Amino acid sequence: MGGGLSRVVAVAANTFRETVRERVLYNLVFFAILMTLSGLLVGQLSIRQDEKVLKDIGLAAMDLFGTFIAVFIGVGLVSKEIERRSLYLLLAKPLSRGEFFLGKFAGLVFTLLVNLGVMTGGLYMTLVATGRGADPILLTAIYPIFLGLVIVVAFAMLFSTLTSSTLASILTVGVVVAGRFSDVVRNMRQVLPGAPAWLVDGLYAIIPDFRGLDFKSQVTYGDPVPGDVLLFVSLYAAAYVAVVLGLGLASFRSKDFQ
Amino acid sequence: MEEPPPLVTRGLTKSYRVGHIRQSFRPALVDLDLEVRRGEVLGYVGPNGSGKTTTLKLLTGLLRPDAGEVRFFGEPLESRAWRHRVGYLPEHPYLYDYLTPAEYLDYAGRLFGIPGAERREKRRELLALVGLERSADLPMRRFSKGMLQRVGVAQALVNDPELLLLDEPMSGLDPLGRRLVRNLILELRRAGKTVLFSTHILSDAETLCDRVAVLRAGRLVRVGALGEMLDESAAQMEVLVATPAAGLPQIDGATLRETLGDRARIEVGEKDLVRVIGAIDSAGGRVLSVQPLRQSLEEYFFREMGGERGGGNPWGEG
Repeated sequence: MGGGLSRVVAVAANTFRETVRERVLYNLVFFAILMTLSGLLVGQLSIRQDEKVLKDIGLAAMDLFGTFIAVFIGVGLVSKEIERRSLYLLLAKPLSRGEFFLGKFAGLVFTLLVNLGVMTGGLYMTLVATGRGADPILLTAIYPIFLGLVIVVAFAMLFSTLTSSTLASILTVGVVVAGRFSDVVRNMRQVLPGAPAWLVDGLYAIIPDFRGLDFKSQVTYGDPVPGDVLLFVSLYAAAYVAVVLGLGLASFRSKDFQ
Repeated sequence: MEEPPPLVTRGLTKSYRVGHIRQSFRPALVDLDLEVRRGEVLGYVGPNGSGKTTTLKLLTGLLRPDAGEVRFFGEPLESRAWRHRVGYLPEHPYLYDYLTPAEYLDYAGRLFGIPGAERREKRRELLALVGLERSADLPMRRFSKGMLQRVGVAQALVNDPELLLLDEPMSGLDPLGRRLVRNLILELRRAGKTVLFSTHILSDAETLCDRVAVLRAGRLVRVGALGEMLDESAAQMEVLVATPAAGLPQIDGATLRETLGDRARIEVGEKDLVRVIGAIDSAGGRVLSVQPLRQSLEEYFFREMGGERGGGNPWGEG
């Protein structure tokens, strides 16, 4: 493994260890599992809708708790290292700022992957244990959830290099909310006819389209997401992450650690 | 060809931006020209806020200089190759709560590309060196400030560096820890390593350094061998005298510093020494000892920095 890559992997491995040892992560996983189990109870109350309700709640829990982890741990990834000055020891070693930044990102993305994997396992176990099939098409909705989380991490890291942790958390949550209601932005001129078209179009282009990554309803009705759509959302997420992470990296590289 | 010195800075300058609305720049380091010679222990001393930490942050790339040049072993600061030859300990290092010292040293070793087996051996050796073998597998959240400082010292040595940059290495240590770090610096010097350490504790610099660089308000005011710096003020002699029963008369050129029963401690200029001893003898006194009065580094600085002992403290707090 090349020197640069091995250093990125070292930082990523340490970040993974850090996040796994954070108690908050265990709590979130615990709550995600709890929500899936509660879905089981709700399912028993519904008529013929129990499987759908179970899948709905399971996928929504994955999305929600994954987002919490992505926002709050993502913001703290770099800012905590700066505030506590643990970064000073690392950057004096043959570790570039870029390697550090990418390593942190990769570490949290891996944590989210593992976390999502555990929750997926929990949902499938619940489905099988209650006599429903382990429906593989669920994965076609879970994969875009993961892509959305990766975009959220990139934003959290970008904002954490620009401002305080608190403000960075607020801004990241703002992006998540705006991205989930991007149609409101698109249709803004219907409510505010005076809004300039360039502003509305610009905002709509900048805000990540989390709605476009949301296939939960479609999948719970048994309708799988086609392969070409999955390829498109993969490319969309990759391009988005590259731009946002690039901006974060540029900001991090120019920082003075006083 | 002779190898370039471990560290050279030329015209190194840094200012900090102050204020939000009406911004101004406060100079933190001005035009620093410094050379650290191979195998020496150089003390970088000055009061709090004089620019010591700023210098070390500039050297390690944590701050960007406004102007000037830094070369480690002849290589520019932007090159990363020199980092394999340098170890750094910041002031009050924060180490990850969730890691153990063994894990942390392993992480540091990985960043240097040290192979696994070598890392394991290295961390065992370093933990023994800083006296933490028995705490190797405890999470560092349970550690005292002194224990964290020891882990900080160990991580600075993980790559077996030729040059060590230590920012207030004795800070926060108990007497045992201070002795350990002092001995370690002396051991490193014996092993031919070069050490640059900043301190505002002058007795540490006095004990350990070959040369001292004195910083005041961001400017380097003096660099020199400790002996040279102190010898300039060594023209005074201390004479211990057994005083006669009638007491010692006033002797021109001698200053009575202290009376201890039938003994007196007198300070005499070197040029007056023979005459004063003669006068003491004539008065019936007896000279018990004569020794050069070598001012301590602290006294030297108080004089140079314009402070007075027991009065205003040019070092600020701490």
